[in-house]
Amino acid sequence: MARSVRDGSRRDTLLFALCIILAIVARALPERIRDPIAAALRQTLVAPLMNLQGSAERTRSAWLSYEGLTISRDSIALRAMQVQTLESENDRLRQLLALGARLGWGFTAAEALHGQSIGEETTVALSVGSDAGVRRYSPVVAPEGLVGMVQSVDPGMSVALLWGHPQFRPSAMSADGSAFGIIYPHASEGAERFLIELRGVQFRSAIDTGSLVVTSGLGGVFPPGIPIGTVLGEIKTTELWARTYLLRPAVPPPDVRSVMVLSQQRATAGVQRVWTIPRADSAARAIVRAGDSLVRRDAAIASAAAAKAAALDAQATAPQQVTGAGATPPAAAPAPVRRTAPTTPRTTDSAAAVPPVAPPRSLRPDSVVQTPPPPASPPVTAPPVPTPAPVIPPVIPPVIPPVVPPPPPTGASR
Amino acid sequence: MNGLGAVRAVIVFGLLIVLHYTLRPLLGWRAPIDFLVIAVLLAAVRIRPGSAALFGFALGLATDSLNASGFGASALAMSVVGFAASWMKAIFFADNLALNGFFFFLGKWGYDIVLTIVEQRLSGGDMVTQLLLWSPLAAVNTALAGIVLLILLRPVLEPSRA
Repeated sequence: MARSVRDGSRRDTLLFALCIILAIVARALPERIRDPIAAALRQTLVAPLMNLQGSAERTRSAWLSYEGLTISRDSIALRAMQVQTLESENDRLRQLLALGARLGWGFTAAEALHGQSIGEETTVALSVGSDAGVRRYSPVVAPEGLVGMVQSVDPGMSVALLWGHPQFRPSAMSADGSAFGIIYPHASEGAERFLIELRGVQFRSAIDTGSLVVTSGLGGVFPPGIPIGTVLGEIKTTELWARTYLLRPAVPPPDVRSVMVLSQQRATAGVQRVWTIPRADSAARAIVRAGDSLVRRDAAIASAAAAKAAALDAQATAPQQVTGAGATPPAAAPAPVRRTAPTTPRTTDSAAAVPPVAPPRSLRPDSVVQTPPPPASPPVTAPPVPTPAPVIPPVIPPVIPPVVPPPPPTGASR
Repeated sequence: MNGLGAVRAVIVFGLLIVLHYTLRPLLGWRAPIDFLVIAVLLAAVRIRPGSAALFGFALGLATDSLNASGFGASALAMSVVGFAASWMKAIFFADNLALNGFFFFLGKWGYDIVLTIVEQRLSGGDMVTQLLLWSPLAAVNTALAGIVLLILLRPVLEPSRA
């Protein structure tokens, strides 16, 4: 019994020693022998285990990447939600910069801080005060038009009344200066409380739906020509001697974030063309382009007619040259007859076919809608023709204020 | 150990080896659980020391095949751990979970010490950090996992009394 135990222990010791020796030999093997043995093990016995390990590693990588992807997706979604806000704010600031460039001087940029309590939706706190040159009754404007006026001024901030405030009553007129009135807030509920009214318009002065209403400059607070709103329709009232119109304000209340406060000097100097120059410029450019294309087309027609006439003359004179004096040089081709310009200037719009010399009926000198001066020398690039054709100057029709199709004046009657 | 017990033990060891190559990389811990050491220790208390050394050598050589630079080091360490565990089974493998946990802890730590010294991959402060910080932490994790496995697999590993 004791001998068997002793033999077993000796065998265990021998096995252990054998394992140790084999391990040491394996450790000491040169690389050229060790690598084939390891590769053989990997390709046979350990291959299933390696596959299991690879699957586990891929699963872990997928899990980790899933978490990363989830985080990235959430971040992208969050940024996407902010993009729209940033884009609108960017557009707004661009418009404000453009307005500042058109104003040139005499303004202060400010942030409008809306109050949160009831009754504060018609007033805003401005981030500038008397330290920045803001004074009481200074006009507050936005790229779209009139916002309000400064009511009280502190050194670092000020409070402005929006057009929806009951005490805010600027004098206004239609863009063509044919009708005058006073702006009042529209006393209504719901979304219509953000509309405004143009009251006191003379009964004989009708304003079309969609017409632009601007400040008239009467009263001395607001310079003439600042857009106030667009006519939605007439309101039937008990006043028989005056008309009242419902207006959609040019500046919606939620958009009143970044504004400009005009100084008194700037308001006195006027803001003509500040809100209308871009439209007039674009219209003038479009008309000049149309005039250029007409000139090019006329020149091409004249050139073709000249070539045709020259060919006919050549055919007519050819027999004479054969039978008559051959030394006589062929007569020069007569100058091509260019079509005379029509009496009525060509325009791209039938409504603008009238000559532009006559100003609108009652266009006031301080009206914001002014006809841009015709270009002194339109860029005519006609091809060379045998006889220079007279260039028809592009016709500049009177600029028609942009008409925004208004929604149906629901609830317009009080 | 009768035939049925041997089959069940082989299944359990196979399960532990599979766990070593699936659960361990899936967890990806810095101080990982070593299921191979648990398998060697569980086998060592059921077989003779020489067989335990041979079993450890085989498992270590399989592990070394994935680590060509340290080829033979794991086989040596596993052989030492298996032989020692089988030789000391009368001391440690009482019916006490805490003692068994300590047994797993010592086995894993001893394996790491032998492996680190023989492999000669680390030196200086890295070796000290590995031996005194990460190896004990891995040994603790291995011991905890071994205790859990012992609790779960006890009905399977214990010989039937019938």
